[in-house]
Amino acid sequence: MSKRQLAMVMDLNKCIGCQTCTVACKTQWTNRNGREYMYWNNVETYPGDGYPKKWMDLGGGFDAAGDLQPGIIPNIESDYGVPWDYNYDSLAEQNLIGDSVEPGFKPDTSPVWGPNWDEDEGAGEFPMDNYFFYLPRICNHCSNPGCLSACPRDAIFKREEDGVVLVDLDRCQGYRFCIAGCPYKKIYFNPKISKSEKCILCFPRVEQGLPPACAQSCVGRIRFVGFLDDEESQVYKLVHKYKVALPLRPDYGTQPNVYYVPPTEAPPKFDENGKIIEGSNRIPIQELEKLFGPAVHEAIKTLKAEKEKRAKTGESELMDILIAYQHKDMFRLDNNYYQQVAKDKGMKPLAPVDERYVAGKYTKISHFKVHA
Amino acid sequence: MRGVAKIFAALSLAATALLADNTVTAVKVDADLSKIGCGSEVIKKSAKFSKIVLYPQTTVTLNDKKANELNKEAKAMVVDVAALYDGKNVAVIVRWPDSTKNVQKGYKSDVYADGFALQFATTPEDPSKLPYIGMGSDSRPVAIYLQKAVDKFYEPNGNGVVGYQVNPHNTNRFGESLKSFEKRVEALANRDYQKAFVSEGFRSMTEIKDGTASYNADMHYVEPKKIWGGMVVRPLKDEYADLSKGAFPVAVAVWDGEKLNRNGIKHLSSWIAVKLPVLGGEELVAAINEKVKGDVENGKELAMTNCASCHRWKGAQSAPMYMAPDLSNIGGQATAGYIRESIVDPNAVVVPGYNRNAHPNYQWYMTDDKGNRTSTMPPFDWLDKKSLDDLIAYMQTLKAEVEK
Repeated sequence: MSKRQLAMVMDLNKCIGCQTCTVACKTQWTNRNGREYMYWNNVETYPGDGYPKKWMDLGGGFDAAGDLQPGIIPNIESDYGVPWDYNYDSLAEQNLIGDSVEPGFKPDTSPVWGPNWDEDEGAGEFPMDNYFFYLPRICNHCSNPGCLSACPRDAIFKREEDGVVLVDLDRCQGYRFCIAGCPYKKIYFNPKISKSEKCILCFPRVEQGLPPACAQSCVGRIRFVGFLDDEESQVYKLVHKYKVALPLRPDYGTQPNVYYVPPTEAPPKFDENGKIIEGSNRIPIQELEKLFGPAVHEAIKTLKAEKEKRAKTGESELMDILIAYQHKDMFRLDNNYYQQVAKDKGMKPLAPVDERYVAGKYTKISHFKVHA
Repeated sequence: MRGVAKIFAALSLAATALLADNTVTAVKVDADLSKIGCGSEVIKKSAKFSKIVLYPQTTVTLNDKKANELNKEAKAMVVDVAALYDGKNVAVIVRWPDSTKNVQKGYKSDVYADGFALQFATTPEDPSKLPYIGMGSDSRPVAIYLQKAVDKFYEPNGNGVVGYQVNPHNTNRFGESLKSFEKRVEALANRDYQKAFVSEGFRSMTEIKDGTASYNADMHYVEPKKIWGGMVVRPLKDEYADLSKGAFPVAVAVWDGEKLNRNGIKHLSSWIAVKLPVLGGEELVAAINEKVKGDVENGKELAMTNCASCHRWKGAQSAPMYMAPDLSNIGGQATAGYIRESIVDPNAVVVPGYNRNAHPNYQWYMTDDKGNRTSTMPPFDWLDKKSLDDLIAYMQTLKAEVEK
């Protein structure tokens, strides 16, 4: 357990599956040197096989007694999906008149599986009760990480200052027991350097006052970032005050620190005549309970009650938070705290590059004036 | 000169008399060993191979479901080990059977390499207090040299040339220019999978990256014979191990990529005594090859009443999983001295190996504020000498059978 914990909340009612977060992460961290197949951030359709394929069936995590469970290491071709490239070079050099080759873009491998292969398929019977929702996933920066527990070389650590889980690439020997140990399969093997790599919660950005790239680029404004012990942060309010943000698959026992507001706003079902069944909901509650545990019932109740309160009285702090008016309220990165950590370690603190999100428990006064 | 030769002949005769399961006699050669490789003439001409048995590592269980399935019934294997000595360097050569050549290469997440490692240690004053076989123990360090059949691997910060760390498609190069870019990347950062480590217990293993370990490793697959050959040459004496005391301890590990072997999923020898053609070292040879005489049946009974409530081994599966190290191959990998020390004084060697997050209900040791580890096993120093000998004699029978 670290001293403090930086956490993220994602509001699944608002995720539109646009993959802007995925692209932001990929261009920032994983577009080169053996990381091409990795999606530290991915958005999958639920129900669906997910990424990597059927990750929920691949083991890892802890049982009720607290013992680490064995797991399976996914295969790039059949489980993650090979990143393919196109024949740019031959297109440029092709003699379209002389050569008999068929012109056009061709992938250099023929993929059999990839992230979002089953995008938007969902489940149920169209048009009666078909449904799906999007599930964006990053590393959960768990308080009891399966990857860390599995590593026989002490190469994975949880940062004391903010609980970010990182791989020490100097110590990593590429054994991949971490991949088997992580029930979310959010740690990946880099075949080019023969070491494991994972989401770093954009800590170099956070330390300088910028939220993680996935969160800042999110067009639906579904992602909140802040410290769990900062009572002013919206993350704290969603997780602890209103208890509407819940960890994914808490039954894995890793104590994740990415929280989800469960999808409550699905359309109603239709009967066989195409008529709306009043009061019905297309997303089966059993599925939500599987994903977020029994606490999901109470969370949904709170969300509905607050929504109604807002409709009647025009007031609800929870609804205001979920509307996500201002990035500066959604992200509280406590920059003074990081500065102090650096000073305590005898290092020169980095100056923030953005001052909109620097507020926090130990950063009382923002000297930045918000432009109206 | 003739006199000296006679003395050496007498010594080597004496050494032959001492020869037992885990002894290798180093051959003195005139060639400079620092430059040799796997197929070198000097190996073909001079190396005298001894048969050494390697046992599956079963002390700790790792968490790869497929690998555990594949290695569940792993048997012991016989390998050939030889040693050469040129006065300044020692070369240890290993030949082991492997029906499949597995090279870790390509864009794959789930393939593993064949490989081998040699572990060296300074001969201790008291040769019964050797470092723990599983990568050393506190204040008993070992030096480990590892070579794996990994196709060249890429060290991104190899030379700190950041401009060559981008995806080729993110550069504005095409055709010839792109090819020369890729060549430069390869030259800058691709290296052999060859590593030296210093370690005081398996979690503490740390790669020596500052260039202070001078060594040379090589491995080569002989397709018609279906065997791997591997060798490591290192100085007789450096800051990581002093091998110059007549005989030195070495241990061999091999990995089979076909069976998803890596890290602890491997075959491991006991300490092997390499006898140099110089004076001394007899105590080490004796300590490593000590076979305790005792009443094995009585030892088994003692083990069942005293050990089996925490430890498991083949034939004693009543203890909870993860509660204590599995002893199924203790007789193959541990010396009698180590078994004796561990029974009488479990705190003598407490390896920081067991991951306390993985199985928090069964902590193998406690750690105080200063980082000192205390074993949760009580000392069995009250056992009388006969009982202790019987127990050790039984423990020495615990090992997997040899693959036919």
